Amino acid sequence: MGDKADVWQGTLALMVLKTLEALGPLHGYGIARRIEQTSGDVLAVNYGTLYPALLKLEQEGYISAEWGTSDNNRKAKYYKLTRAGRKQLEKEARDWEQTTEILARFLAPGKESA
Amino acid sequence: MRALRVLFIRLAELFRKGPREHDLTAEMESHLQMHIEDNLRAGMNRVEARREALIKFGGIEQTKEIYRERRGLPLLESLLQDLRFAFRILLKNHGFTAVAVMIMALGIGANTAMFSVVNAVLLRPLPYREPGRLTIVWGKDDRGNPGNVGYATYVDWRTQSKSFEELALYRSWSPVLQTNEPEQLSGLRVTNNFFRTLGVHPQFGRDFHQEEDIPSASHVVILSHNLWQRRFNSDPSAIGKAITLNATAYLVVGVLPADFQSLFFMDPHGGPVDIWGVLGYDASLPWACRTCQHLVAIGRLRQGVPFTGANAEMDTISSALWKAYPKEYSASGVILTPLREHLVGPVSTTLYTLLGAVSFVLLIACANLANLLLARATRREREMAVRSALGGARVRIVRQLLVENCLLAALGAAAGLLLAYWTPQLLRVLGAGELPRLGEVRVDSHVLLFTIGVALLTGILSGLAPALRLSKSNLNDALKEGSRGTSMGSGQRVRGLLVVSEIALSLTLLVGAGLLLRSLSQVLGVSPGFDSNHVLTMRISVLGQRYSDNEVLRRFFANALASIRAFPGVQSAAVTSQVPLGGNVDRYGFHVEGKIHANPELDESAERFCVSPGYLDAMRIRLLRGRDISERDTATTQQAILINETAARSMWPGEDPIGKRVKLGGLDQPWWTVAGVVADIHHSGLDVAPTMQFYVPHAQWPFPDSDMTFTIRTSGPPSSLSSAAQQAIHLLDPTQPLSRVMPLDDYVGLSVQGRRFSSILLAGFAAIALLLSALGIYGVTAFSVAQRTREIGIRMALGAEEKEVFSLLLRQSVVLVAFGIALGVATSAALTRFLASMLFDVRPTDPATFVSVVVLLVGVAALACWIPARRAMRVDPLAALRYE
Repeated sequence: MGDKADVWQGTLALMVLKTLEALGPLHGYGIARRIEQTSGDVLAVNYGTLYPALLKLEQEGYISAEWGTSDNNRKAKYYKLTRAGRKQLEKEARDWEQTTEILARFLAPGKESA
Repeated sequence: MRALRVLFIRLAELFRKGPREHDLTAEMESHLQMHIEDNLRAGMNRVEARREALIKFGGIEQTKEIYRERRGLPLLESLLQDLRFAFRILLKNHGFTAVAVMIMALGIGANTAMFSVVNAVLLRPLPYREPGRLTIVWGKDDRGNPGNVGYATYVDWRTQSKSFEELALYRSWSPVLQTNEPEQLSGLRVTNNFFRTLGVHPQFGRDFHQEEDIPSASHVVILSHNLWQRRFNSDPSAIGKAITLNATAYLVVGVLPADFQSLFFMDPHGGPVDIWGVLGYDASLPWACRTCQHLVAIGRLRQGVPFTGANAEMDTISSALWKAYPKEYSASGVILTPLREHLVGPVSTTLYTLLGAVSFVLLIACANLANLLLARATRREREMAVRSALGGARVRIVRQLLVENCLLAALGAAAGLLLAYWTPQLLRVLGAGELPRLGEVRVDSHVLLFTIGVALLTGILSGLAPALRLSKSNLNDALKEGSRGTSMGSGQRVRGLLVVSEIALSLTLLVGAGLLLRSLSQVLGVSPGFDSNHVLTMRISVLGQRYSDNEVLRRFFANALASIRAFPGVQSAAVTSQVPLGGNVDRYGFHVEGKIHANPELDESAERFCVSPGYLDAMRIRLLRGRDISERDTATTQQAILINETAARSMWPGEDPIGKRVKLGGLDQPWWTVAGVVADIHHSGLDVAPTMQFYVPHAQWPFPDSDMTFTIRTSGPPSSLSSAAQQAIHLLDPTQPLSRVMPLDDYVGLSVQGRRFSSILLAGFAAIALLLSALGIYGVTAFSVAQRTREIGIRMALGAEEKEVFSLLLRQSVVLVAFGIALGVATSAALTRFLASMLFDVRPTDPATFVSVVVLLVGVAALACWIPARRAMRVDPLAALRYE
């Protein structure tokens, strides 16, 4: 599970940003569920690991947090994408696409030489 | 940028831990509740729903811990914890803390103070533009020594050399300001490019112009900020106005900035230079000749020109000049002395030696503190053991102890900085007169950094050994209630080593101080050749139109002497052109009839004293042969001269010099006939062998000096006569300023001031070192005695002789002291040769000094062992046994 966890840590921030962009302000539990649903069983990791990542993003100023009320009238802390976060998301997404593209070409050398 | 933001946010978290912790718990709680509700909706029962949510979340406490670490700065937090704890511990043991802080304050304070002096004098750049390119340019004499330069030579240098951006000249000048109250000023005559060479611009007004630097137009001056403030009330309109100097009108063209420091002066006792006049020479003047070497050249090298390159070029120019004027130079070649070396070079050895010495004091302080800490460590073994047993990591425990020590050192540093703050006042009291740039000594950022560095180093150095020892002590033994004998072997060994090194270091310092003090007493024991007791001196510069007549000038001095001699309490009085040890140099070529070199520049030179009759009497200089000069030697009689023993011996070996003839300062001068031989006097310093000297009667010297000093021998204390003597001169002519009214003794004192300064400082350091090592020896003995109280009790109870127990107790200390002394003697023998240049008439390995220092140290050490041992002996054997 070590390898999987590394990928998880590295991409978690990007997933959080993307989730917040897609769904708007959301609490930690919602973000965790959304990421789990999107990735299926592939990334079955503890929800708890999300919170230090959220804190880091908040300290970096990419997201902001505020206490609010959930649909079920429960108090929850809502995270929201900031302007800097939006930019960061664009940049990271671009970087990520570039990386995967290069890797894809690498992993399928047959096509290239043909 | 982002990283910085994160750092600040995390730093800020230190101050709002409570609410944030609450926040975190609430967030996790809400997360779990939402998850449980979802699970319930999905059809699980309560228990199942809760279980599943918890499993999915992972370890709650672990998550919180990771979160916390991410939130703040854990390293800093635990450091703060350590610091808080250290404060509490130190407060609790305030006795120990006070002693430790005092030790540190002594060590760090002495170092900071010394460093602030070194920093100001040696390290801070000279206050001129790009000072690294400034250099003094000397002519070389036939002995290879640097010498002043004549104006004609300077002109050739300047026009032929390409290495210099600017080449300027300066010479001494002591004008008298005659606007309002007359005052003798300390000044310099400089070429018009002098300030441009230094890279200094006047704050008000302007610099000198080139067209002012000629004989006919040279009456312009620039004032120091201080003089402008003091005598002209900082009045801006003073610039452009005329002032009277030496009965001549001078135009003030500029005022220098307040922070300008004149580090150039030619009269060491003249005080800071306050006024600069333009030199105003041209080659036609008689005193502009090549042999008229009374000027100092200072140059600014062109960008990128190295000193060696400039030196080589100047040597070439000089050797061409030597060939062209073989009779006007005694040798070819120039010497470039970088300005820094010229100004502070002479004192740098002394200062670095003292800095080295004071670092020994710091080492001793460290060793002492380490010793104290080790002793305390044994008492804290249980505390550390408990902490270890409860899971405290070794690193954490060591860090805790180091933090404690650094805190101690910081407290010591604060106390030390206080000391350094008072350094300038201290220096004034010590009289460090000869050190240049002392006005700049203060606590600046460099000094502060140095102190912080020293404090940290001290804290770590002194704390490391005890900390390591403590952290690896045996848990089991230490935890046992009442356990007393955890093996102290290694601890005692370390403490012993520390004491040995303390003793060795103090001994080295004591030997150094002893050598310097012995040198000082040797120097003070040198007979100057005159009797400085009960002599009042008083300098006067007689100026004005009416004194341009030699006879009027001579009569003025004769009248002044007559009225001074009339005072009760005056035994004799005379005037002289310079006071012995007064710091002036006035040398004339000494051309002996029949022994003149083909190149007269190669003839010896001698110090000139232009005196009135009665001078030998007033100064008690012994007449060895022939006769003294008297009132009968007048302008119309044969020109008579007195020479000193050295001159007689070196110029007329095996001959009677009386009646022989000599020309002074050039072959175009008249012959003087030797009338008498007098004893040598020390003029350049008590530690400098006297050179050739001669005395000419003021009545016969063709250009009688107007700047003279009265020497008045009194029967009572000289100062009692000072106001009466000044009054007498004032009655004759109130416009003539008197200066330096002081006992002749003070000149002798001033001449050894530098030597006294370094001796006192080193002796002070050695005293601190001795005190600290005495404390160290005392501590070790007291500690080992305390450890053995029970043993002593048993031995005494079993009937051991008091003497035997006593020697048993002292055996260890005696061994330590013996080792320390042996090591110290070896170290001293190796190190004292670095003091050689500061010694006088004492060898660096002077046995008397070594022996007396060893005796002193043994005495102090014996006392430091004896007191605690004695106390232990008074313990009642029964009480000692019961105590256990």
